[in-house]
Amino acid sequence: MTRIPPLLLLAGPGVLFILVTLLLPLLAIFMFSFWRTESYELYPDWNLDNYRVLFTEAAYRTFLLRSLIGALVTSLLCLLYAWPVAYFIARHGGRYRLLLVLLLAAPFFTGVILRIAALQGIFGPGGLINMALGIFGLPPIAALMYTPLAATIGHVYLFVPFMVTAIYLSLVNFNFDLLETAKINGAGPWRAFIEVTWPLNWIGTAIGLALVFIPCLASAVTPRFLGGPSATSFGMSLGQQFGETGTWALGSAMGVVLFAFSLLVLAVMGFTVNLKRSGFTGMGAR
Amino acid sequence: MTSVGDRAEGWRRLAMSVLLGLLYVFLYAPILFVIYASFSEDIVWPFPPSFTTDAYAELFDNSLYSDALKNSLIIGLGSGILSTLFATAGVIGVLRFPSRRRALILIAFLAPLFVAELLIGISSLAFNARLLGLPGNLFSAIAANAVEGTAFAFLIVLAQLVRYDWQMDDAAMVFGASPLRCFWEVTLPAIWPSLFGAFLISFILAFNNLEISFYNLGAIPTLPSVAWGSLRFGLGPELFALAALTNGLVFAVFALMYVLMRTGIVKFGYRGV
Repeated sequence: MTRIPPLLLLAGPGVLFILVTLLLPLLAIFMFSFWRTESYELYPDWNLDNYRVLFTEAAYRTFLLRSLIGALVTSLLCLLYAWPVAYFIARHGGRYRLLLVLLLAAPFFTGVILRIAALQGIFGPGGLINMALGIFGLPPIAALMYTPLAATIGHVYLFVPFMVTAIYLSLVNFNFDLLETAKINGAGPWRAFIEVTWPLNWIGTAIGLALVFIPCLASAVTPRFLGGPSATSFGMSLGQQFGETGTWALGSAMGVVLFAFSLLVLAVMGFTVNLKRSGFTGMGAR
Repeated sequence: MTSVGDRAEGWRRLAMSVLLGLLYVFLYAPILFVIYASFSEDIVWPFPPSFTTDAYAELFDNSLYSDALKNSLIIGLGSGILSTLFATAGVIGVLRFPSRRRALILIAFLAPLFVAELLIGISSLAFNARLLGLPGNLFSAIAANAVEGTAFAFLIVLAQLVRYDWQMDDAAMVFGASPLRCFWEVTLPAIWPSLFGAFLISFILAFNNLEISFYNLGAIPTLPSVAWGSLRFGLGPELFALAALTNGLVFAVFALMYVLMRTGIVKFGYRGV
């Protein structure tokens, strides 16, 4: 009898599961992206028409560009806000650390749609903010109603907990004594941060950036309800291809484009993350 | 004696805690709004306030909501359990049995983090419906949600277990414990808080998932898809009522956790004093 290696026995089922339920469907839409749809049916005549439409029609380019800019701005805002917050929880949270992090996750118990509707209820025409302004005789803040700014606030609202958690998970394995060493050797707090804390926790930041950027790029619900009439995003259009219009082949091609960006993010991470220097995985130890 | 540096450190710490406080305000304002709106007569123009509990009565009368809640719970529990099992086994494998394939296994487990939910949803819809000829069903929804859940659970468990000292397990094995018994009696009691955290996160993600579940379920209702469907005619106040009840439960659990942490009865993995 041959013994199964323990690593295969333990990690094998999970890897196999992900291969079957993630990779196979992705390969399927890759294949469909070269097919043709006619009255809701897919026909396997191989062609590049879907990609030609995607890259020549101005509307799709606008959707993609709009989603890209939105995702970049949101990621940057989340990054700036999440770092001090995660740092505080990891370093000064003490015994309540877990509770403080769980408090960031608890809003997820309320569905995305309800939270977005609530944001609308706070920012919208009849909402809390504008109602309060009205009481003082002030005009409503138009910038908060059905604008790209409102959609960005919505995205930050939805995704900033991911960024904080990713950075936090990295920082809990970071040895803060290193900062003492840096201080003894004459580094000021900022220099110590830039030369020690930031690079040693880059993997947490990178994962956080990916966790914000990727869903934001594909976002469909938030721009639809907060972004106003001229906020059609790539994700919204993609969802329509599989719903209302039933053009599955074109939708598959859009999915492939979306996935190409995921690969790009992954590649950037692959080049910049050094597992041996990351406290997060501790992979350098052995 | 406090030096200038210590005082600056104190200010930085205060500033960071203020940022954390503001973040909680930002995150919970809409939640409070949901609770407030669930008691108000007119959900579209909820100000000035006028209170009623009609939404709650309607919630318990209408079977659509209990069906949706049941389906959401099934998806949440199924996906949460699957994710935690796959991820925990994977993390233990990767950490205990170093091999050259470790990087590949890490990439496989974390890959779902790089695929948007929308893309997981539509690709599994395309695969199931067009290649396998399957109609929308709960099992595909559980599986598709568990893909994302496994990646998050893996990340959470990995971050907590990296510093786990496996010598305890080795000692147990030397004294003749089988690997399974060793896991049950040595490893699990030490690591359960992180497994619980991983389960909780993968449960919530699947429970409230719109984009993965929507495309995998067809006409089967879940709470998010009912919310999505009712948006066309304006959100039903019943959904606000249900969310308010859920949040009440969550906060009760948190309050309990706080008391347990405060008194030190359960430390949830915290090893300090």
